[in-house]
Amino acid sequence: MSEKNLDHGRPAGDPDDGPTAEWFAELAADDPETDPFAKRVDEPAQAPEATVPSPLPEAAQVPQAPGTDDTRPVSQDGPEAVPAEGLPAGTAVAQEPAPIHPDTAALAGDAASGGAPTAGEPVHPEATTPPAGTPLPQEAVASQAEAADEEPVVRPDGSFAGTPGDPAQGGPAVAEPAEPPARTEAPAPGGPLAYAEAPAHDQPPALAEAPAHGQPPVPAEAPLHEQPPARAEAPAYPEVPVHREAPVPAAGPSPVDALIAVAAPVPAEPPVSAEPPAPSAAAEPRPAAVGEPPVDSVAVAERTPEQRQPYVELGMNEGEYRRVRDILGRRPTAAELAIYSVMWSEHCSYKSSKVHLRQFADKAPQNDALLVGMGENAGVVDVGRGLAVTFKVESHNHPSYVEPYQGAATGVGGIVRDILSMGARPVAVMDSLRFGPADAPDTQRVLPGVVAGVGGYGNSLGLPNIGGETVFDACYLQNPLVNALCIGVMRHDDIKRAIAPGPGNQVILFGATTGPDGIGGASVLASATFDEESQAKRPSVQVGDPFMEKLLIECCMELYREDLVVGIQDLGAAGVSCATTELAAAGTGGMHVVLDRVPLRDPTLRPEEILMSESQERMMAVVEPAKVERFLEICARWEIPATVIGEVTDTGRLVMTWRDEVIVDIPPGTAADEGPVYERPYAPPADLAALQADTPGRLARPANADDLRNTVLWLAGSPNLSAKTWVTSQYDRYVLGNTVLAMPEDAGVLRLDDESGLGVALSLDGNGRYARLDPYAGAQLALSEAYRNVAATGARPLAVTNCLNFGSPEDPGVMWQFARATEGLADACQALGVPVTGGNVSFYNQTETQPINPTPVIGVLGVHDDVRRRVNMAFPAEGHMLVLLGQTREEFGGSEWAHVVYGHLGGLPPLVDLAAERALAAVLIAGAREGLLSASHDISDGGLSQSLVESCLRGGLGCRITLPGDPFVTLFSESVARAVVAVRPGSEARLGQLCEAAGVPVTQLGVVGGDSFTVEGLFSIPLHELREAHERLLPSYVA
Amino acid sequence: MNAARVGVITFPGSLDDRDAARAVRLAGAEAVSLWHADHDLRGVDAVILPGGFSYGDYLRAGAISRFAPLMEELVPAARAGLPVLGICNGFQVLCESHLLPGALLPNAGLHFVCRDQRLRIDNADTAWTAEYTEGQEVVIPVKNRDGRYVADERTLAELEDEGRVVARYLDLNPNGSLNDIAGICNEAGNVVGLMPHPEHAVESLTGPSTDGLGFFTSLVKAGLSRAGVR
Repeated sequence: MSEKNLDHGRPAGDPDDGPTAEWFAELAADDPETDPFAKRVDEPAQAPEATVPSPLPEAAQVPQAPGTDDTRPVSQDGPEAVPAEGLPAGTAVAQEPAPIHPDTAALAGDAASGGAPTAGEPVHPEATTPPAGTPLPQEAVASQAEAADEEPVVRPDGSFAGTPGDPAQGGPAVAEPAEPPARTEAPAPGGPLAYAEAPAHDQPPALAEAPAHGQPPVPAEAPLHEQPPARAEAPAYPEVPVHREAPVPAAGPSPVDALIAVAAPVPAEPPVSAEPPAPSAAAEPRPAAVGEPPVDSVAVAERTPEQRQPYVELGMNEGEYRRVRDILGRRPTAAELAIYSVMWSEHCSYKSSKVHLRQFADKAPQNDALLVGMGENAGVVDVGRGLAVTFKVESHNHPSYVEPYQGAATGVGGIVRDILSMGARPVAVMDSLRFGPADAPDTQRVLPGVVAGVGGYGNSLGLPNIGGETVFDACYLQNPLVNALCIGVMRHDDIKRAIAPGPGNQVILFGATTGPDGIGGASVLASATFDEESQAKRPSVQVGDPFMEKLLIECCMELYREDLVVGIQDLGAAGVSCATTELAAAGTGGMHVVLDRVPLRDPTLRPEEILMSESQERMMAVVEPAKVERFLEICARWEIPATVIGEVTDTGRLVMTWRDEVIVDIPPGTAADEGPVYERPYAPPADLAALQADTPGRLARPANADDLRNTVLWLAGSPNLSAKTWVTSQYDRYVLGNTVLAMPEDAGVLRLDDESGLGVALSLDGNGRYARLDPYAGAQLALSEAYRNVAATGARPLAVTNCLNFGSPEDPGVMWQFARATEGLADACQALGVPVTGGNVSFYNQTETQPINPTPVIGVLGVHDDVRRRVNMAFPAEGHMLVLLGQTREEFGGSEWAHVVYGHLGGLPPLVDLAAERALAAVLIAGAREGLLSASHDISDGGLSQSLVESCLRGGLGCRITLPGDPFVTLFSESVARAVVAVRPGSEARLGQLCEAAGVPVTQLGVVGGDSFTVEGLFSIPLHELREAHERLLPSYVA
Repeated sequence: MNAARVGVITFPGSLDDRDAARAVRLAGAEAVSLWHADHDLRGVDAVILPGGFSYGDYLRAGAISRFAPLMEELVPAARAGLPVLGICNGFQVLCESHLLPGALLPNAGLHFVCRDQRLRIDNADTAWTAEYTEGQEVVIPVKNRDGRYVADERTLAELEDEGRVVARYLDLNPNGSLNDIAGICNEAGNVVGLMPHPEHAVESLTGPSTDGLGFFTSLVKAGLSRAGVR
């Protein structure tokens, strides 16, 4: 079982496969009557899953083997440094014939396997670790170092109070409404002016006015009405490419081959790892000449204070390195340096974001439901009846670009373990995906791999995928976003913490064995800007084994049931380093670990590599001595390797030994909690003013009914609004039997309790275009949408998680976007009364100097007292009245219409109106509870038109409506706080009362019925034509 | 009347085992959990091999589970008439165990496919389909990666001639199965393998229909009638 991971890359029956392979061989031998079909099936049956798809040409992988690159620092400073300092006392060092520097050799990722053998030797990813230390992205590291050199912004001691005046900031840090210049110098119609006038957020005009029945709710402050005359002479409305040509795959090898590489049973070019005769890690002898490098123990470190250390290569700047030396009172050992470098990486320490994220706690609304707040693996929320829910979203962006299948798969695996380690049973996943343009060749490489990875892992775990998003935009072409969410359920008593209290308690590592996966992934891969060298990092991506994780889930459930763990932590980024430091820091404070006991998949791993390895499907538990035996029994029942690797102490030190020498002796809190905190300078991006001034007012609008009709179809079939069935049909939405609603519904809805019907709703939303135009509003709009989606099903919104995807924090423009977005989110959470329970920050999503659109992805969790009263989006029955709730303003900045028809991004996003959002939610929730609504669908991207299209197609029934006001604005504006609902016959009056009480404007639109989408007096579109437009795009690109 | 006792096997990597148990209970029978590593069928009246990815589908779907200790008990019992239903991965295990002929290959599209599938019940005489009428159309979710049923021509002809195709895909064949086959049975009709998941169509709240319930209520009748014989 322990060898399971290896099976991924190898033909079954590889003689080196260890016990598993032997077992397979036996099985084959005692099966005389093997079905001929089964035999024939053998190869194709396993190929698609068993091989790690390799979308990169083989040539790109092999020659990159690092050892051949003699620029690496390893062998260069080794010989000089060691004799210089090591001779007097360091006998081990002196005796070592091969003058490989102890730290650098190890940190460089096993110099032996990387450098010594000839380059022609088959590269086995399990056995060698090409990327670990050596060919690290020098630019990235250098640029970090540079940034750090700007000493004023660095607060190495974590106290950021004494900040000198933020040089680059120049004041505008708080200049929220941004760009006064935009307003003065933008005589452009509408746009910023409209907003300047709107007394805005505090005083939603909709609520101030009486609900206007049937009254065209065109806001008074929209001066865009000056447009029509201009429109007459504006260029003709664009021809609608109703049937967009599916891209004819170029004759070249790119798109199709990329697909084949992912999907075909037998890749034309077998991945390197599938090389049949590849020697297993265990079998490959280390070159005798090198032998085992000497141990860089604490004693050695004390004797060799001057020894040069590769902290820059590990992503640390000099200030950080000096701080480590200060903490320890000596130079760190190689192992300690490994720990600090990963724990203080952006990914693990949140050093650039921390000062902004504090707002989520500082501004947290009073909420009794919050049982565990931010800081643990995931927040926990009380949902009633003794049940608690934990949920969190996390990014796996960079790995998914490098290796889409494994990157996405292990992204799911990681977030599921986070949830598992809270004591919960994971019950569902969601995924928010962003790619480059749908027709870009690289999207056709990345998208199918990511979708297969999300599905392959989640499906194999038996977790339903209940929703998410798939979005396309050129800014994500080389920076796809893969954000995975998991939700888990537990009883209040079962909440587990990542703590290690009680001296004498045993520390148990269980799950998969440790290999060289993702070494340096946390500190290097996750925070390096992509460039041409990224292909060289490919093996840094971890490889997942969902089967092992499924066993881990069931095993943990039994361990929890028998109350066998005191504290538990999953191993994700930074692996053992992270788990041991965090557990120890949060517990009694001390821990002793015998690192030699960590079960290895690759016995050549050095202690530093073991500490940094991100091998998947591992957990660490703290167990009372008396319960260890039972713990191990349960693991054995699930065939999960489990090893006691240490024990809790009261020394306040994390001590690790290797070959009986002390290689780590640190105060764990200094690595886990007291990392550097930076207040990076920020200022609005230079192009923001011009962007905001370029309002969509200049864009020609549909001139007649035909243009309107075509626009409906065009939007319905555009990449972001078209059906995502091609994606979601690869996800199991049924398993566990509690999925009440799943995509494409507004929110996923799960039943938690069969008897009472208690359940939850979850939605995950983001809009990078809005956030690009105004990050403060953009984050709030994402929250608004998720909140509205949850309420649209009838659930009461309760709590928030977030994944903040941004470019480089070293870019003041990006940092400004981040600061504004976090502030906007914190303020909006406060206004809506939903606390942030946890989340994740992903920086460095940029290609060279071009960052992605800032993309806060927000998840909102809501509660259904009884899921049987949920409302879905399908129009259910002829004759039900259709009603538009909320006020429509003329708002096209960042809209899908501007994006799809003109590729335009400019102006300001829709006005945020949180009070109206709250009022709308109250109506939707009450309407569902009282059974007034037979359908409910939020209005967001693409406006009312898109919502009607989706609800018609979902229910297979058309609608006949009359549009109040300007048909174009009513159909396509993206004003917030709106929904379209179908009303059960007889409930119209009651709904009207609810709306009036809440101050929600009501507009009667028409009725459900027929087999077409009909706007009286304008156009009619048969459902089959709508369906064709809505459903054909994605399959035509990727299938 | 004593409720029929229906065992649901959990292999490492079984995923729909609790769902199958729920369906059994909704059908009025008692669900009995069976563990792959035991040699004990616990005296059940029938057995369900649930869906999932037992052993991660490594090597080949169902190829490892087929050697579970419990299977050593199950195979002879099934040959002796014990009603056995294999759903999805369970179907794959039954084929690997040679309780049913043929094999299940990766889907024609090479993707996992999850959809609400219309089916026609072509054999309403098995232990698991007695509640249906022949030719009845039902909607039941299908969700699989290796669901393409294949068999040699002789076997296929045999299955067709003997009416052993239990259910067939309508509208759209989601995985490229020969003859649109969604499920088959053995000669005696007590062992049924089904690629779609009837256990996910037993409640209107969570399924596309309740059409799947018939598989479990059929069993209750059949299971009871056989209980005396056992």
